[in-house]
Amino acid sequence: MKNSSRHLFLASLAVLVLAGFALAPLAEAAGRGGGHGGGGHHAGGGNRNLEVNNNKRDVRTNNVRSTSVNNVNVNKNVNINVDNNRGCCNSGWDNDYHPIATAAAVTATVAVTSAIVGSIVRTVPAGCVPVNYGGYIYQQCGSTWYQPQGNQYIVINPPY
Amino acid sequence: MPERKILAAGLLVLWLTLPGVHAQTAAPANPVDPAAVQALKDMGAHLQSLQRFRVITELSGERVLADGQKLQHSATAQMDVQRPNKLRARMTSARSERQLIFDGKTVTLYTPAQKYYSSVDFTGTLADLVEQLEERYGIEVPLSDLFVWGTPLAPLDKIESAMNAGQDFIGDDLCDHYAFRQGKVDWQIWITASGKPLPRKIVITSRADEARPQSVHLIDWNLKPAFGETTFRFTPPKGASKVEIVPRKAK
Repeated sequence: MKNSSRHLFLASLAVLVLAGFALAPLAEAAGRGGGHGGGGHHAGGGNRNLEVNNNKRDVRTNNVRSTSVNNVNVNKNVNINVDNNRGCCNSGWDNDYHPIATAAAVTATVAVTSAIVGSIVRTVPAGCVPVNYGGYIYQQCGSTWYQPQGNQYIVINPPY
Repeated sequence: MPERKILAAGLLVLWLTLPGVHAQTAAPANPVDPAAVQALKDMGAHLQSLQRFRVITELSGERVLADGQKLQHSATAQMDVQRPNKLRARMTSARSERQLIFDGKTVTLYTPAQKYYSSVDFTGTLADLVEQLEERYGIEVPLSDLFVWGTPLAPLDKIESAMNAGQDFIGDDLCDHYAFRQGKVDWQIWITASGKPLPRKIVITSRADEARPQSVHLIDWNLKPAFGETTFRFTPPKGASKVEIVPRKAK
């Protein structure tokens, strides 16, 4: 019994060691392959000619809850007393997902505006005004607000 | 039964006699390891001494949906920095591209896709800039920590827990890994272990939401960037139009 378990242990150790050797070149190759290092062609923006299409995106992916906080800078969040839930952006320079609504709010919104929050359009109506709020430029069209996403617009709740 | 007792006693003896084991298993009396805090101080001092640099960061952020499911998203930023008061940041994701340019007198936010820009006058250091942009306009600057570590805006005496978490490779760089707790935030940093201390990776975990959304930055450094005449200047491109910037509203 003792002997057999020791054998088993040695055998698995051997497998581990062998696997380690087998994996090493793979890991190296992955490291050389670019990964994130050195800021490859797409880091910092680069030249993006690809058209982004979010038509197929499930509307539920916008249903961000109010306690969700995107902390991307340490000191802002631990030392400077910032109200993270300022109803604007849930913070973060990368957080261009505007929390649109819960199911209940969607229903409520439908009643008061012509455009359904969360819906996506290719163009905005005439007479909209661009507004920079929280570092993002929206299109305000009366009581309806649009946020550009790629070359489309998503209807959002008013950011303020 | 006796066999088990002997085994337990043997293990105890082994545990007590193995050098270092006892010290490592007992929790330290002070949850804040002064050496970990000193590492932050050293890094902050070095960051403040850098006169010009370029950083490129890849960020993974998270958002929590109504039912607690988490979604991760990606963004990149490139920052050209010349102290005390020049900055060009380019923030890119599949959803938007924005540029932030500060020439020492005016700060401009530009969105190339729509050719819209907003400008406001501003004088001050980069640490002042990132604080005021947030305070007045709710605009968060990528890696704003780089401008405040090593300044009074980043006090280190409120840290509740600080640990050395060993070493890791980030890219080709061997780094010291530290972990901190403060308020509702847990955060980790990987600082280059040899040469001058530079942050190569930062992880921030929020404990304010039970799903614990987390952000991960990987940071690449260029300490000898070639900046040109126009690096920190914004000239509105043909067809660009100016957009009003609305100050942040109190909720």
